[in-house]
Amino acid sequence: MDALCRTIRSEILNISHKSGHGHIPTSFSIVEMLCAVYQTMRNDPKRPDLPERDVFVLSKGHASLGFYCVLAGHGYFDFEEIYAFGQFDSKFGCHPDRTKVPGVEVSTGSLGHGIGVAVGIALAAKIGGTSRRVFTLIGDGESNEGSVWEAIMVAVNLELDNLVILYDNNQSQQRCLPIPNPGERFAAFGCEVVEVDGHDLDALKQALAAPAGRVRVMVCNTVKGYGCKTLSDNVYEWHRRAPKPDELKMLQAELYAHAV
Amino acid sequence: MRTQFRNTVVDLAAQDDRLVVVLGDISVYMFKEFWERYPNRFFNMGICENTLVSVTAGLSSQGYHSFVHTICPFITDRSIEQIKVDMCYNKFAGNIVTCGATFDYAWDGATHHAYTDLAALRLLPNMEVIHLGSKREVDALIRSQYNNSRPTYFRLSDHPHTIETNLEFGKGTLLKNDRSAVTVMTAGPILHNVMEACRDLPVNLVYFHTLKPIDKALIEQFRDTEILVVHDAYGLYEAISEVPALRMRYHGLRDEFCGWYGTVHDIRKRIGLDPASIRAAAQAVLDGDPRCSSSAVCPW
Repeated sequence: MDALCRTIRSEILNISHKSGHGHIPTSFSIVEMLCAVYQTMRNDPKRPDLPERDVFVLSKGHASLGFYCVLAGHGYFDFEEIYAFGQFDSKFGCHPDRTKVPGVEVSTGSLGHGIGVAVGIALAAKIGGTSRRVFTLIGDGESNEGSVWEAIMVAVNLELDNLVILYDNNQSQQRCLPIPNPGERFAAFGCEVVEVDGHDLDALKQALAAPAGRVRVMVCNTVKGYGCKTLSDNVYEWHRRAPKPDELKMLQAELYAHAV
Repeated sequence: MRTQFRNTVVDLAAQDDRLVVVLGDISVYMFKEFWERYPNRFFNMGICENTLVSVTAGLSSQGYHSFVHTICPFITDRSIEQIKVDMCYNKFAGNIVTCGATFDYAWDGATHHAYTDLAALRLLPNMEVIHLGSKREVDALIRSQYNNSRPTYFRLSDHPHTIETNLEFGKGTLLKNDRSAVTVMTAGPILHNVMEACRDLPVNLVYFHTLKPIDKALIEQFRDTEILVVHDAYGLYEAISEVPALRMRYHGLRDEFCGWYGTVHDIRKRIGLDPASIRAAAQAVLDGDPRCSSSAVCPW
């Protein structure tokens, strides 16, 4: 595991423990994907409003803790600021608010919304004749929502080759409405599809940097709770739960067990 | 009104290269001039109202002055969460312009009737709600509000009135002041019927095109009168109620779906929103009809 990705996961555990909040398994599954995005796209943590920046939208807003920690890991703010996660007057809510957190472009939380707004942002970039790219991360559970597929149809029809959709294929819906063969489905909708190990940072960055001829979907195969066996083996129990002191110690030990 | 909407938007687009139109496969041919002149700012996006709103929010987030236009119930009822979250909560601007107000599509039945839009959208923080009544209002209010920083709802109708009103956003119009103990308040195109009903009745008549923000100062002038709200939708009564402790009642829709077809005029007559029925309602208030004394909805 990349050292920064491990640090980010460690901070996710600490913050969840301290605050009592956080969707840890889903936050763990997106760490490499988000790091790859922020290490590939045009962005400046010191100037989050840089006019020519690329844009990232976290459509599955409940993974906000992972998102905040990735932003901190890339210089947008300090990890310490996030320790107020979920508190009354904190900037850092359990779903991201664009008016409060530097680097958050769209406030999300209700599933199936962020991708539609991302389509609008990508369209705006096209109308303006810019080379700006737009990245959005959607969940496989989120993709139960019809609005996700509606937005993809529109994006393909508008030929938004500046839009990259990262699909977090962490098998979260096995107990109700799974989406088998997602790559085939996105291809049938007219997207250019690549399948990637969602925890392989280099492979993710390569796929993100490659030029796209159409709307690109990266089916990122991930594991909920990746990095801590206790989490990945018990995803339903840990879906929305903060670790107690002894559990925190155990999870940190698991996370660093194979660190070099 | 739709033609006026098109004319105003085409005119504005000539001066504003950040004006963008998003259609839900409605009024497309009417916008032919627009898409011929500005093909890169015109998008007939499809019958997908949720995405229409989300995309409009995304366009607005990047500084475009976007209009999304389709049929009233399909965008306001179906997509209210996109309006709430993607536009209002995100503080992205954007203009929602609908056709098919209330019973404009009478013959199509209750799936196409629309009367909850004004009431629902005025509950959303940051939202401006305009119930346009005349072509003059369409032109003036779109020009004054389309490029501000807030999401704005414009409701068009196929049956506009032609009465002169105050065209300033947020301002109502005192159309008749008889220094009466009874004040009729109304909004939108139904003013045509209300005006005809009240012309020679000794009542005051107040009209609004802007439901949010409502003109509280104008309402306050009639605090000491009995207020009869006549409206063919929900939303005006609730807006006027922002002024506390008024004596008011509502004459309009009942809590049931409208199962008739025909025309808007047929339905208005059936539910008591034709001039004669409105006149009877106002006269009953003037007469102190006891059937009106304890109920918000007059029983006719």
